[in-house]
Amino acid sequence: MVISPALLIPLAAVLGLAVLLVRLGRIPFGYNVRNLVVRWKTTLVTALAFTLVIALLTVMMAFVNGMYGLTDNSGNPANVIVLSEGATDEVFSNLQFTDAGELENHPDVVRWDGRPMCSREAYLVVNQPIPDAPPGRPKRRFLQLRGIDDPEISARIHGLSLYDGGQWFSTAGVRQLPGDSADAGAAPAIEVVLGEGIARELSRDRRAEAMPAARHGQRLDVGEVFALGNRKWLVAGVMKSAGSTFDSEVWAKRSIIGPMFGKETYTSLVLQAGDGAAAARLKDFLNLEYKKAAVQSLLEEEYFASLSQTNRQFLVAVIFVAVVMAIGGVFGVMNTMFAAISQRTKDIGVLRLLGFARWQILVSFLIESLVIGLAGGLLGCALGSLCDGWTANSIVSSPQGGTGKFVVLVMDVDANTVLLGVLLSAGMAVLGGLLPAVSSVRLRPLEALR
Amino acid sequence: MRFLVLIIKNIRRNLVRSALTSLGTIVLVFVVTLVWAILSFLDAAMAEKSQDFKGIVTERWRLPSQMPFAYAASLCAGAASQPGDVRPDDSMTWQFYGGTVDPDKRTRENSLFAIATDPSKLRTMMDELDSLPPDDAARLDEAIAKMQQNRQGIILGKDRLASLNKRVGERIKLYGINYRDIDLELEIVGSFPESRYDNTAVIHRDYLLASLDAYERQTGKPHPLADKTLNLVWLRVPDTETFGKVANQILTSPSYSSPAVKFETAASGIATFLEAYRDLIWGMRWLLAPAILITLSLVISNAISISVRERQTELAVLKVLGFRPWQILTLVLGEALLIGVGSGLCSALATFVTINYVLGGIKFPIAFFGAFYIPAEAILWGVSVGLVTAWIGSIVPAWSAQKVKVSEVFAKVA
Repeated sequence: MVISPALLIPLAAVLGLAVLLVRLGRIPFGYNVRNLVVRWKTTLVTALAFTLVIALLTVMMAFVNGMYGLTDNSGNPANVIVLSEGATDEVFSNLQFTDAGELENHPDVVRWDGRPMCSREAYLVVNQPIPDAPPGRPKRRFLQLRGIDDPEISARIHGLSLYDGGQWFSTAGVRQLPGDSADAGAAPAIEVVLGEGIARELSRDRRAEAMPAARHGQRLDVGEVFALGNRKWLVAGVMKSAGSTFDSEVWAKRSIIGPMFGKETYTSLVLQAGDGAAAARLKDFLNLEYKKAAVQSLLEEEYFASLSQTNRQFLVAVIFVAVVMAIGGVFGVMNTMFAAISQRTKDIGVLRLLGFARWQILVSFLIESLVIGLAGGLLGCALGSLCDGWTANSIVSSPQGGTGKFVVLVMDVDANTVLLGVLLSAGMAVLGGLLPAVSSVRLRPLEALR
Repeated sequence: MRFLVLIIKNIRRNLVRSALTSLGTIVLVFVVTLVWAILSFLDAAMAEKSQDFKGIVTERWRLPSQMPFAYAASLCAGAASQPGDVRPDDSMTWQFYGGTVDPDKRTRENSLFAIATDPSKLRTMMDELDSLPPDDAARLDEAIAKMQQNRQGIILGKDRLASLNKRVGERIKLYGINYRDIDLELEIVGSFPESRYDNTAVIHRDYLLASLDAYERQTGKPHPLADKTLNLVWLRVPDTETFGKVANQILTSPSYSSPAVKFETAASGIATFLEAYRDLIWGMRWLLAPAILITLSLVISNAISISVRERQTELAVLKVLGFRPWQILTLVLGEALLIGVGSGLCSALATFVTINYVLGGIKFPIAFFGAFYIPAEAILWGVSVGLVTAWIGSIVPAWSAQKVKVSEVFAKVA
């Protein structure tokens, strides 16, 4: 659990204020609580407004956290991604086969089982017609394919493994399905491994009659088949890819899917160096000294971090909506507190006559406002936290544009989100309570009692 | 009328409370108007039309679509090759050229993606540019005429001009990003009227094609993208029947086999693209907007409840004076509805003017839409939201107000 330093200062301020108010306040805290209980309807309605605002903030932040989780966690610090020079995105990159052979033999690229740790990849986005699309829903979806030469090497480089029962696609990359006869001219099915997110998405296309036989109710699983580009595609395995951009990808043999969809070159090479320092050295070499091919290289972490443009835009939108809604909530709590003061004018007069100072009355009303705000806010955080772990579709993209990557993200309610919710509710409560509290201290005791 | 005067007097009696409730309503109607403006635009973009609509021809399988330019002429004719074949009413080709004015330090600000097309099609084929106010239309027509005379012309949206720090009449050199080594020397011949095209750039397709030819002459080999330069073709058709016939002509034509192409309505294409945002749009529609409306109802309900509680004696007096329960209910409801409707109207009007004319639209990153504008019907939304939330928020307090028991209230006072 890591708390952002940017939240620590306001947190310290709120905690300090709360402690100060309780320490300085001479009016018993129980008096405030009893007043809130007596006016329970108003208290409840005001707290519910806080609950909704904070719950919404929590859900929206969980969505943005999920997006940041994808871009921040997808890279390996020892990996270097190589694209063709000028390519704004993998999809626009073209690397020749000869370049790959040259680059993977660089001394900084580590070897495994005698093979260089180089993932040769062709990333492409294709249109997949959706069979039996329900009315009002799109008839096609964009499917992200990654053509791979050696799935075992690529999986090691990207730190991915398969769920039990799965296997990487074979060297041929195709397999004859039991019901299809090669003699009758049926093309063999293309073997694929699926990211978990896209396996879930593709399972929506299952017909009702296929459901009883499905090994996994929530996603396509090993042995199932889907259609794309006039071919059948057989699921050989499902990757444990949650939380990475690979979660929404379909991996297959590059030499089959490249020509099928008109991508005759690699789009990217991912080279694994011994560690972060070696990776940085390799990146610099490729960017500054390597002249045999026009390439650009980035540390894989930098590449995925560069895909956070949409995240930032969504974050700004979330903050904007939350702040505007919070302002609406502030007006609500102001109404409540003004009403509380007008109903307790005589109480205030008595308190003043009993010797309580103006500022002590101000503190008392602020505490009351804070209690409403924090109770509503904490309930909102709890309600919003229910979305933790939900999955959602989105896009991540870089500032340079391009198509971006279609991703399945896992919504994440972290400590910072909860803290932000608590701080916002406290801020709303203090802002909403301050003006009424100030007005309460301006009452003259005798006038108040009249 | 007397009732209305009484309602207004009651609202004015506690100005602070009325103002706070009104401000709360204004703020929350503002957010809900923004959300609904985005959703209604997306819904409209995805809604299939039956008359005078556009279809898109793109590569069948791959994204981004990259077709040979040789497809352009026949696709613009809807692949009509036989007597009796139907042709689209109009057409437009798009080629995307990405460039930067600073190749050494490329940023979002100094880069742009331009649509290379036939400039004469801008006013007939691009949404909203065919129905511009006369002044804007005249200025754009002038820019188009200049571009037709000077194929090195470029028309830019105002945000793009600002980010490049350029003005109409100045020249820029774009260094190719996707078309490597294809650098274009351009003169800014005009700008788009303030609209969804604030971030758009359009160049003459002939200049791009000529530059690709020049590359081949200089290097002795075609540019790597020379046979993939056509990204999409727009076709305007009068009705769904024509669309079906044109689609059949295109899909059965042997001319488009490598790569194969598809023809779909613009609405269908947009819907596919927006599928990636499905959950975000769902959240905006079914979580965000309802939560705002409920919050607004709570704020109004709170204010009206307080008001009713404070006025128990007065309500009892009204009953003694002969007011019927339904009249008291109407009185309390009327206060809430007047505040709700008035604030909703003010908020929607202010949102409409501020977003459309001051801020130049909502810059929200959904798909390829640069900015979203507040439609005129949003003013009706504001009134409706104010009305409905005020009714929901005040019905319970108003009901309790009309049930005030005179004897109980006076017993307490005594």
